[in-house]
Amino acid sequence: MTKTDDARPAVTADGTPIELADIQGDILRAYGNAYDCTTYVWIGLTGGPQAGRDLVARLAEEVTSAAPWGGGKPTHHVNVAVTADGLRALGVRPHVIDSFSHEFRQGMKDRAERLGDVGRNDPEHWTTCFTDGSAHLLVTVNALTPKRLDEALARLRSVITETHGHTIVDEQAAKMLPGSREHFGYADGFAQPAIEGVSEEKTRGGGVPQSSGRWRPLALGEFILGYPDEDTRDDRERRLPSAPDAPLGRNGTYMVWRRLEQDVARFRRTVSAAAERYECGDEAKLRAKIVGRWDDGAPLSHYPDAPPEDTFDGRIPGANDFRFLDDDVLGAKCPIGAHVRRTNPRDALGWDGALSFRHRIIRRGMPYGPELPKRATQDDGQERGLVFACFNASISRQFEAIQVQWVTDGNVFGLGHDSDFLMGGEPGSGRSMVIQGECPFYLAPQDPFVSTRGGAYLFVPGLDALRALGVGHVS
Amino acid sequence: MSPPVNAGPQTGTGTPPGNVNGQAIAITVFSTVKRWGVPWLKALVFNEPKLLPQTLLWLQKLSFIHFARWTLVTELPHNGAPQPRQKLRHPHLYFESNFNGGWEEYIDAFSYVLGPGMTAFWGSSYGFPGPVPTAPFKAYIQTSDLTLVASHFYAAYPESTVTMIEQSLELDGYLDELRAKVDKLSPDEFVEAFDALLAKGQRCF
Repeated sequence: MTKTDDARPAVTADGTPIELADIQGDILRAYGNAYDCTTYVWIGLTGGPQAGRDLVARLAEEVTSAAPWGGGKPTHHVNVAVTADGLRALGVRPHVIDSFSHEFRQGMKDRAERLGDVGRNDPEHWTTCFTDGSAHLLVTVNALTPKRLDEALARLRSVITETHGHTIVDEQAAKMLPGSREHFGYADGFAQPAIEGVSEEKTRGGGVPQSSGRWRPLALGEFILGYPDEDTRDDRERRLPSAPDAPLGRNGTYMVWRRLEQDVARFRRTVSAAAERYECGDEAKLRAKIVGRWDDGAPLSHYPDAPPEDTFDGRIPGANDFRFLDDDVLGAKCPIGAHVRRTNPRDALGWDGALSFRHRIIRRGMPYGPELPKRATQDDGQERGLVFACFNASISRQFEAIQVQWVTDGNVFGLGHDSDFLMGGEPGSGRSMVIQGECPFYLAPQDPFVSTRGGAYLFVPGLDALRALGVGHVS
Repeated sequence: MSPPVNAGPQTGTGTPPGNVNGQAIAITVFSTVKRWGVPWLKALVFNEPKLLPQTLLWLQKLSFIHFARWTLVTELPHNGAPQPRQKLRHPHLYFESNFNGGWEEYIDAFSYVLGPGMTAFWGSSYGFPGPVPTAPFKAYIQTSDLTLVASHFYAAYPESTVTMIEQSLELDGYLDELRAKVDKLSPDEFVEAFDALLAKGQRCF
């Protein structure tokens, strides 16, 4: 649930006001489960730079900020992000574009090999707009109901028409499945980073683990540009992390968007066949071992043998307060290769989290496509998967480090070249999994369950920056 | 350079291709040392490594760092006549290290885990900005005239990291134990012994 109606002024640890009214919404705090009707609209600015700027100026009027809403829940929210190709299409001056990070300017497609997007994940299998440079703007619409979503989309289309010449190059509807589940059947989205002055209530389990047993929240600059980050928070010279030229760098952030197709039938067949050989529990437990959480989200670190009797509620303080080195170094409770232990290792890499605290992301994923009927183990030919969206101040240090070092490769965990059993890529990359314990269980290499079908690196400008783009101040 | 069996991730952000072989990444940094740095480095760092026990112990524990070596260079290597002997006007600190994983993560470990040790080694070098914030430190290391491109770099096991090789050697030991007694085992005993091997070696796979 969102707390955007909390009226207290937000400040960072050093007292700097957090300019919530200039930061786009849904980054620091999710709009909440009530907004479960989402459509991602990708626009190609084919009408030339001026028409592009006109569109951005119109969209800037619609964008929801992170400021408290006041009054009731808005019926819908609009947010805008732009790719490097989009900045070029808007006529932004080259030296301004050069002030953006290298990986953003290069784009996701050209970093495919590094990201493990090879073989069946290769960009040649992606939707064309993500490989031919025509995906310029991403407009995300979140609404309370399908009707409100349709209304907002109709309005968006009329704005696109009125500003001339633009093309909708991709449209992806997404909707949370019943019980806040994703397609494999797991409840998702529990572990988000705790941020100073923003979400400190999540500090236990969401912050940086300390040797004292405590946790501390992360600096805002890890997720929003223009504020001290973990590197500069104690800098005597009060230098800020590198960011794009003003006014673009202030209150903006980078976004990663990926369309990940899920082969649910293959996943179900694989797990149920393996469960027949699994002597330490049933299929539900084997599913939990693969992810590190039971289907309802209850962490194995707290519930190693069986899920809690009542449905797990991740919002209860302490629900995500667990570590791996206290009593589970060998992975007997939560396997060393479990998805949550790889993607958010907490203290697992030792050194009080010093090797992992700079690799955190804010995730805002949403499933797309119809649910495969319960118990079905054959594919029905329908496309389904997850729109993975995340926010971070540095795509290379945060998202890419997780994807490259922790998901695609396992060496840092002592797992050789094994990639994440749930998310990993090609067979032959050694994507097997050991479920540690008194009688260890070995999951043999499998064909992948998840395939990349498109994606892009984006920049999410602050509202002032968006308006500056609209009026051509940086063109 | 032969292509590795399994390339693993591409990890050498900011690393010239010549400094990558399979999983191993080479880093070489040449920095100019201030005059007072020579006695400091000789007395405290090189001759009395016990003064930096924590740094050295931690360096060994960071398994993605294969090795790290600092050398004080006061004159150019002499290969005989007609090359004149040449003493350097300023001494230089020559740092070489091999590691696997990401370049940024490697420097992060230096900054966040080994910070005081890094100051001991590089504090007397011109331009050293301190180990934290790590961004200027990374820029310092990456500055082109400090980071050298290897003309020859060879990895015996390009598909493996040090962690993997150590795990393989550990597993090999367990296999030797089983091999030594396998002839004397009944089928049931073999199953038991093999399961015991899997349990013992589960961290090696």
